[in-house]
Amino acid sequence: MSREAYLARVRDATQAGRAYRIEPRGEVTPTTGYVGGGDDLCARFAAEANAVGGTAVVVRSFDEARAELAKVLRARRAESAFVWRHDVLDRLGLAGLLAELSVAALDPGALAKMPRDTRRATILTADIGITSADYGIAETGTLAMFARPEQPRLASLAPPCHVAILERRQILPDLFDLFAALDEAGTTAGAPHKVPSNLTFITGPSKTGDIELQLTTGVHGPGDWRVIVVDG
Amino acid sequence: MKLAYLQHEHHEFRDAAADAMADAQLQGVLGRLADTLGVRNREAWEDFADSAATRERARRIKDATLADLDKHLETLERSVTRLGGRVHWCDDGAAAREAILGILRQCGAKKIVKSKSMTTEEIHLNPALVEAGIETVETDFGEYIIQVAGHRPSHIVGPALHLNAKQVAEVLSPVAGETLSSDREELTRFARRALRSKFAEADAGITGVNFAVAETGTIVLVSNEGNARFTTALPRVHIAIMGMEKVIPRLADLPVFLKVLARGATGQKLSVYTSLITGPRRMGELDGPEEFHLVILDNGRSRILGGPLRESLFCIRCGACLNACPIYRNVGGHAYGGTYSGPIGAVLTPLYDGLSQNHHLPHASSLCGACQAACPVKIQIPEMLIRLREQLHHEPRALGRVERWAYGIWARAMRSPRLYRAGTWLATRTLGRLKRSTRWLTKLPGGLGGWTRTRDFPAPAERRFRDWWSAGAGDWGLGAGEGASPASKEPFDHA
Ligand code: SF4
Repeated sequence: MSREAYLARVRDATQAGRAYRIEPRGEVTPTTGYVGGGDDLCARFAAEANAVGGTAVVVRSFDEARAELAKVLRARRAESAFVWRHDVLDRLGLAGLLAELSVAALDPGALAKMPRDTRRATILTADIGITSADYGIAETGTLAMFARPEQPRLASLAPPCHVAILERRQILPDLFDLFAALDEAGTTAGAPHKVPSNLTFITGPSKTGDIELQLTTGVHGPGDWRVIVVDG
Repeated sequence: MKLAYLQHEHHEFRDAAADAMADAQLQGVLGRLADTLGVRNREAWEDFADSAATRERARRIKDATLADLDKHLETLERSVTRLGGRVHWCDDGAAAREAILGILRQCGAKKIVKSKSMTTEEIHLNPALVEAGIETVETDFGEYIIQVAGHRPSHIVGPALHLNAKQVAEVLSPVAGETLSSDREELTRFARRALRSKFAEADAGITGVNFAVAETGTIVLVSNEGNARFTTALPRVHIAIMGMEKVIPRLADLPVFLKVLARGATGQKLSVYTSLITGPRRMGELDGPEEFHLVILDNGRSRILGGPLRESLFCIRCGACLNACPIYRNVGGHAYGGTYSGPIGAVLTPLYDGLSQNHHLPHASSLCGACQAACPVKIQIPEMLIRLREQLHHEPRALGRVERWAYGIWARAMRSPRLYRAGTWLATRTLGRLKRSTRWLTKLPGGLGGWTRTRDFPAPAERRFRDWWSAGAGDWGLGAGEGASPASKEPFDHA
């Protein structure tokens, strides 16, 4: 069946189907479904992230955040870290910390120079993934990650542990606010290339309930999911 | 349960249901469904202040989208194409299989990974891939288990729900080359290891689509495990397949659906991973596919779109109605014999695969309404089942002879007061008299016996209402004609 015949049939059916439209019930507005994040977005974000099985802490400064991250790296005996390039991580002094603890830093620049197969193998065996995020969402304890050359998708997925460092100013109250922000940035109507090639929301460690409806973590993605929120 | 039911489609619902109910292991698993997913779904609606209105909002977006579906699909095509992706319009399962095989052949793919997609089940893609010599690996843990076992999925979101940990260990041990224990953590670790290498080796990844945003050409994939992310990050080619009703007009519509989908599926506020994929990877990016294909499937949907059961196209495949349904919780998914099971399966399977071959399904419901109450888009499933039951009477092949004959007589009698009187007179004097000692008949004779095989039939009263009424309305002293005095109304007044 040709594209034209296919679409012609859909057009006819669409028209015929209008006779069976539903009857609306009750009030609906553009903010219906908005929940928000309360007064203290950092505290709410951390509470929600902990509730879904993650480990989130709120710290007062980048120094504290660095100490927090060092604890995780030591506890996991990490030898290699798959990291983003990101200004929050620069301000944290990530490169220095990794050197200090002799953890090999696999950053996008280094990875880009490797042949494809070596790169895959390296990515899949990294001990920890360290990223920031574009936004946090307080209502659900969610990280919103935009894919870019400096911020690869797999850093938050392939390693068994993922740590994200987030600043207070990055946290939005509700998922609706994120879509409003996208809209303001002109990323919608008629401009698909302005939406990132991949935008992923992460809410908790990788989970499955496929055996007897019982929760098991870490099936494909990280079983150990951490967020350090810098509120200062 | 008999292997044939686990492996094949379209069997006799009553036999398969009886088989399922005799399976103690399966009953154990199904018994937990209400207390786990069922409760979480109900609590999720209760805890969400705006839940009723948000579900209504999602419902209206679906309705409005379908009212202009052709336009939204064309917009979607334009957006995908602008990003360098390719759209394939596929009329039916065969066309979709052909298109996908064509893409794979062209890029020389020998090995592929898949993330869970009910649409690929619907078009029976896996057997076609295997036949073409392409190594095909399901990567959702539940799908992986049933792929190795050779079973069909038993639940929209929990495909391996019918197996317990011990059975899973038996299924996976031969693949592992060692005896796996029935420890969940150990089984999960094995799957993680086994599937990692498959992701790394795959030439192409095939996924379904939860939502497709027309204005941006964005494909949305929701999962809790992360396998959909791997499937779309590592292989060089990504093929996504969607039923054409999955399109939504704007990116701004998405949060409404994400909020209700996760609550319906698992009672979460949001699923663990939601990926919005907009075209292939861009310049300089390290991961993501270099090629993107979108298969848009009709396969009977346009036929349904133009008719009274159009609302079935609102379904976002969350599985909430299965968990809420007292029938599903007794017979499980395989008994339904179609791609989709539970209440929505009882609507979709007759619609897509033929009503007369699936004539038991519209009756596989007590019409209690729990499905509609659980549904994130409040689909009026009971009403649709009634409509299908009604349609059955216009399909001569669908009814048994006795049944058709009985309904025929019933219809005649209801139209004629004289016949109706005669009928009730006969009933009280035969069945009513014979079974004066009991209120329930446990065995009806002959062709009517089917009714009493699994339930009792209420015995007719000894005396017809009509006789009681004209004899002066019994002991309550109610006048037959004129209004009764206020005092005599007493027995009816429970206030
Ligand atoms: S009918 Fe409703 S509850 Fe059932 S799977 Fe579809 S969306 Fe979910």
